[in-house]
Amino acid sequence: MVGTEYVPMTPKAAKEIWSAKVNGESVEELITSNAILLDVLRDQVGTLGVKRGCDLGTCGCCTVIIDGDARLSCLCLAGQVAGSEITTVEGLSEGAHLAPIQSCFAEHGGSQCGFCTPGFLLSAQALLTENDSPSDKEISCAIEGNLCRCTGYQQIVDSIKAAAEIHRGEAEPVQPASNPHPNPHPEGPDQPSMPPGHAR
Amino acid sequence: MLMPPFILHHPSTVEEACKISAELIKKGEDFDWVSGGTDLLANYKWRINTKPHVISLSNIPGIDSVSNLEIGCMARLSSLEGSNVHPMIAEAAGKVASSLIRKSATLGGNLCLDTRCFWYNQSEDWRRSIDWCHKADCGTGSDCRVIPNQNTLCVATYQGDIAPVLMVLGASVHLIGPNGERVMPLSEFYQLDGMKKNVLEKGEFLLKVTLPKDSMKRIGSYQKLRVRDSWDFPEAGVAVSWLEGDKGSIKVATTALESIPREHKEEVSQIIAEGWDDKSVKALAGAIRKSVKPVNNTALPPNYRRSVVQVLVKRAFSQIK
Amino acid sequence: MSAGYRQQPNSARKDGKRVAGKQVFPPPGSGGSDPVMKERDLNFIPESVGGKEPQPAGSHIHDRIRTGTVIGKPLPLVDSNAKVTGQAWYGDDVRLANESIGKILRSPHHYAKIISIDTSKVEALPGVIAVATGADSPHSFGVLPVTKDEHAMAVEKVRHMGDLVACVSAVDEATAIEALGLFEIEWELLEPVFDPKKGLEDHDDPIHWRGKYHLAKTNVQKRVFQEFGDRSLVENPFSSSHGKWTMAGVHHGFTEPHAVVAHWDPNGRLQLYTPQQVPHYTHRALSTVLDVPMHQINVIRTFVGGGFGGKSDPFPHEMCAAILARKSGRPVRITFDREEVYWINRGRHPSNIEVKMTADDEGRISGFDIDALIDGGGFASFGHVTSYYNGVLATAPYELGSFHYTGARVWTNKPASGAMRGHGAVNTRCAVEVGLDEMAEEMNVDPIDLRLANLLPPHSRTITGFRITSNGMREALERVREGSNWDEKFRKLPLGKGIGIGCGFFISGSGLPIHWDPNRFPHATVHIQVDMDGGVTVHTGAADIGQGSTTAVAQVVSEVLALPIEMIHVRSHESDTSPVDLGSYSSRVTFMNANAAIRAALDIREKLLDAAWDILGYHPNTLIINDRRIYYKHDPAIGVSYLQALHKAQEDKGALISSGSYRSPPMGGVHKGAAAGLAPAYSFSAYVAEVDVDIELGLIKCTNVWAAHDCGKALNPLAVKGQIIGSCHMGLGQVLSEKMVYGRTGHLQNANLLEYKIPSIHEMPHVEPIIVESSDPEGPFGAKEAGEGPLLPILPAVVNAVYDAIGIRYNDLPLTPDIIFKGVEKKRKKLKLEEATELPSPRFTHGPKSIELQKSLMKRSQEHKKRDLARQKTEDTSPYVNGVLFGFDPNIPLEDQVEGWRMATEPDPEQLAELGLAGRAWLKKEQRQMESEK
Ligand SMILES: Cc1cc2nc3c(=O)[nH]c(=O)nc-3n(C[C@H](O)[C@H](O)[C@H](O)COP(=O)(O)OP(=O)(O)OC[C@H]3O[C@@H](n4cnc5c(N)ncnc54)[C@H](O)[C@@H]3O)c2cc1C
Ligand code: SF4
Ligand code: FES
Ligand code: FES
Repeated sequence: MVGTEYVPMTPKAAKEIWSAKVNGESVEELITSNAILLDVLRDQVGTLGVKRGCDLGTCGCCTVIIDGDARLSCLCLAGQVAGSEITTVEGLSEGAHLAPIQSCFAEHGGSQCGFCTPGFLLSAQALLTENDSPSDKEISCAIEGNLCRCTGYQQIVDSIKAAAEIHRGEAEPVQPASNPHPNPHPEGPDQPSMPPGHAR
Repeated sequence: MLMPPFILHHPSTVEEACKISAELIKKGEDFDWVSGGTDLLANYKWRINTKPHVISLSNIPGIDSVSNLEIGCMARLSSLEGSNVHPMIAEAAGKVASSLIRKSATLGGNLCLDTRCFWYNQSEDWRRSIDWCHKADCGTGSDCRVIPNQNTLCVATYQGDIAPVLMVLGASVHLIGPNGERVMPLSEFYQLDGMKKNVLEKGEFLLKVTLPKDSMKRIGSYQKLRVRDSWDFPEAGVAVSWLEGDKGSIKVATTALESIPREHKEEVSQIIAEGWDDKSVKALAGAIRKSVKPVNNTALPPNYRRSVVQVLVKRAFSQIK
Repeated sequence: MSAGYRQQPNSARKDGKRVAGKQVFPPPGSGGSDPVMKERDLNFIPESVGGKEPQPAGSHIHDRIRTGTVIGKPLPLVDSNAKVTGQAWYGDDVRLANESIGKILRSPHHYAKIISIDTSKVEALPGVIAVATGADSPHSFGVLPVTKDEHAMAVEKVRHMGDLVACVSAVDEATAIEALGLFEIEWELLEPVFDPKKGLEDHDDPIHWRGKYHLAKTNVQKRVFQEFGDRSLVENPFSSSHGKWTMAGVHHGFTEPHAVVAHWDPNGRLQLYTPQQVPHYTHRALSTVLDVPMHQINVIRTFVGGGFGGKSDPFPHEMCAAILARKSGRPVRITFDREEVYWINRGRHPSNIEVKMTADDEGRISGFDIDALIDGGGFASFGHVTSYYNGVLATAPYELGSFHYTGARVWTNKPASGAMRGHGAVNTRCAVEVGLDEMAEEMNVDPIDLRLANLLPPHSRTITGFRITSNGMREALERVREGSNWDEKFRKLPLGKGIGIGCGFFISGSGLPIHWDPNRFPHATVHIQVDMDGGVTVHTGAADIGQGSTTAVAQVVSEVLALPIEMIHVRSHESDTSPVDLGSYSSRVTFMNANAAIRAALDIREKLLDAAWDILGYHPNTLIINDRRIYYKHDPAIGVSYLQALHKAQEDKGALISSGSYRSPPMGGVHKGAAAGLAPAYSFSAYVAEVDVDIELGLIKCTNVWAAHDCGKALNPLAVKGQIIGSCHMGLGQVLSEKMVYGRTGHLQNANLLEYKIPSIHEMPHVEPIIVESSDPEGPFGAKEAGEGPLLPILPAVVNAVYDAIGIRYNDLPLTPDIIFKGVEKKRKKLKLEEATELPSPRFTHGPKSIELQKSLMKRSQEHKKRDLARQKTEDTSPYVNGVLFGFDPNIPLEDQVEGWRMATEPDPEQLAELGLAGRAWLKKEQRQMESEK
């Protein structure tokens, strides 16, 4: 802004109503006209699973699926995607049931520190939705915009391949490390549930 | 990184876009166009030359068409990759940035890409600490940091991938604004200055790119030099094409070596107008090396970039033999 | 009756003693989702205790407590479900009610005195909540007690661009940023120093002042001199190499930028949320800076989005948040932009390293001279230690005739360097391994054979006195040689294709806890608590930064108690609940915390067995503890469920509680600096890398890596492989593309992830992780570290492979295309070739002498192999010290055997003239000496 040394950050831009479908639910937020999708998702919608790694398009941590495309929310004006369907990592699983891609990442070491994981999951999910038998090349192209500093990518690729098998119906979904809902009545509902260590 | 404040306008027709821009000009308010935003928003986050208004082209239906003779400005690079456009365009588009960025990035934005410089693509705090530079001087009248003591020219580097390819395919650009539409060859679109960049007048935007009928018959090659096969802008790029067998049809263009992508008509006509073999290609490569003037404002040093242009030219020609 | 818990063998028992199934068993009553006790998995029970797990390295003291539950099995991280669902909470995900946003004002100058700061305009801005400057934080802190040279905000002067000057908190980010522009500061600019060589010289205003210990008026923060061994061996070498390296600084590049949330709760206690590797140091530093006792501070470690050493210092922004929150009474959240991450840095030191090596006619390494000048940037950080590590961590795995090291760390006006994965060892290791390759080239012998014939055996001592226990170096080398088909490829590939070798050696936990006396307090403590529900809660301060330390701790407890891993809950986030722990650095967590956890779990196990004894009447020695059940060895039908035993054990007590700790054994020499590099165990690794070099453009593509790492015992092979592959990625970045670029004005030119070039998936080679298990006698179930060591060998392996591909030695890192291109052009012109593609490929040029030497090396390594095996299995327990290869007797002090055997930590006056670049720091006198001369 010619003539001033600092670009003024206030007063803030005018506000407008923004609506979209986030993880299947309609949301409406009052956002500033210049708002970035990443900020809206994290600070207003509350989907903190969308991560901010670089804010400049070079890490992929902020990836979300917008109308079927995996895109970077940090380089996306919220106003430009108003009315879209947006999926964040929170929208991948159904309740306690992890999507195949999620359980495969856990199972095959696709996630170490986990900060890049939401981004990878969404890039991979967008790929698998379109193509359940991706080649190695297709997998690496799909995640070339995601940076991982921990895994060296190899186990991420393994995870995606394993998830693709499940998508194709060639493998059973992996059981999560611990079943979040163990059957409390293994002997039928009329039996008392596992008394703590006493003979019946 | 917080966005500096601006008002985002969403015209839904080309006419409306022109109207909004005309009104803003009349009011004396400055503005930028935004398409995919992958270039503009990064600069805005760094608070580089921000404007109080931004006009988005993304709500205008119909300007994202993709065919082999015409590509709309809002065509996403990802949709060019697997399409029936000239394979060179698909290839070059596929080499831009990363797959995630290409889902947002558009052809119009790519052609109108801001020029880049490591004294410039930095945060506000950073630039303040070097006392700004000519291109974003914040009213201080600062000098260029790359070539100091001239204060007139910015030599920031144009690092778009697709422009050289479109140039060697003979593409034209259609510009539209409050004062109507104009068409010109892409090779005349750019203007040698890292600040002005191209011939767009205030209020005008790039509507579409059209290609000559014979362009699909051209065979060609685009060579991109970069450190990583993802994210990285070209450090040098060479595009070559010809109508097979037609000696006079050869076109060569380079990118990422100067403030503008450039077609090398003169060198071509002087050296290989009469056909080409390994030797004359080498001579051409040498001539192009001489004619380009990279400066030290990208990741790799200019003398290296300049030297390897020759290799890129050679490789491009070997691909179209 | 629970169907699942009847232990009924299918066939009648041969001994006929008892008829199975007579007893009625209670249901398990707890534990995961499976009501059925799992059979003992003999494949994961060591041979020595009757299982089927092979133990080539012999038995281990922990064998008898193995239950076959989880150790050695690939296991997902216990917190992976939180990570894949987006529920893992990192620094910036902590959002407290009524939060305010903090921003930091950073120095626009490289080096300047602050004359005055006027904050009145800032305070007047509506929306600003609190403002703080250096005046609010007079106390200094630093990660090492000996070098506390940092302040929350600059007190007197700023030391690099981006240094913290002041901070504000405001109702929102926009206001906070706006406020930063309103500070009015008067500066007095000082002459900055950027070149570390200049740092060795006197300066009008040294960046820090160390009082009487300050070296003249230089910017030297630390100098080191070490000389060991027989220097006469260096004279008239048979072969030698000499490399002068310039290595750029690199950054950890973790994906999560720093963030912190501070909140003073209504009771006046500070709750500080931060992604820290070492929460305890932050805890200490906060206490000093804020003048508040430690027990009034609760440091809560959030999930950590990658650390690699970059989140292990106490950070000034953590103090800032606490100060702002205290001033305003409102929670403050500060999140960094990526650029700020580079400004706080603590990455690998930019280094100038010179390595001279000599070998004698038997191919023994007679001389090993290292000179390392490292650029510390504006603060000390871990630099004191780094200065040592650059030399001493190169003293193994080879047996050396002599070792000479001069190191200096200087302050410059750049962001501070610190600890990064492979702390201090990476750069010299690269130079040393490339030097060995060069000597092998000169002697015309195979570099792998040269290495194999010079290895220290297991249970030996290095030249500077480090105690080596288990040592899988030889196996690692042999396995990568075989895996990569080395003998068919080395010096035989066409131009542009190459293969190279590199080795590594790293500490598995630092032997000295820097904040307290190891003889009084242990390195690590773990608490276990088992309540009536049977769930096991483990309290540890080990900071999981993605390496899986929580998983490792849960695993060992699970293994000892034979409980499903989902019954083990690790609580490690809060300093309020976790015992004091040194955190995640120097690869100590698996070794130390898992050992402590084993001890704590053993305590519980004993109590459970005693209770089972009470109920069953069988002595614990005859009881087997298996999946949620304890039973009689000779008849599984006789037993009690875990819960029965537990409740018996809990009678009169309520919950079972235990505490276990780990302290390293006394070790090491007595010379100055002897503690640096001491560790209870060391990891070893050997990599072979294959590269394709685009000789015209200078682009290198690493295509394949065979990566063998000796981690003692892979507690979790999945995690170990992940560490190996991840290390390759990070090391490749350093060798090929990553560097912190300081331009001609001293500014960091690439403080973003676009220009700081971390390899993408396309640059990643195929990595074949090879796990070598040497079973460390003191490691938990034999384990050693696997987090840092695996990074070291990839750099030299790639540099050596590039030589094999194009016949040019490079001594600059990273090997960016322009550097390769320059080298190629130089050689092309020298050889008067038309095209670069005509360059000759390096080949063996065997003569009779070299064939003879090659044979003798192979013979020696065969002999040593037998020696090593015997020592590893402790069939041979005779002492072995560095020097035996040169004919010395390990039973007599070496200095008594040869005149001139040196053990010096200061140069002799006559040596001063010939010292290397960093050695020049020894030409300067300390202030106190200068004063005493006056
Ligand atoms: C990490 C990263 C890596 C990148 N790597 C590459 C690369 O390798 N190669 C490459 O070529 N690019 C690269 N880019 C730049 C950019 O993503 C692409 O060039 C993209 O095509 C720009 O399109 P856009 O629609 O996002 O542009 P926008 O950001 O929307 O616009 C870019 C500029 O053009 C102007 N503009 C946009 N549309 C029009 C129009 N129709 N008429 C007139 N002016 C217009 C805008 O005002 C702005 O100044 C990279 C970007 C990032 C963040
Ligand atoms: S070339 Fe000069 S004027 Fe242009 S951006 Fe770079 S420093 Fe600024
Ligand atoms: S935060 Fe969007 S790409 Fe890094
Ligand atoms: S798991 Fe840590 S960055 Fe990918």
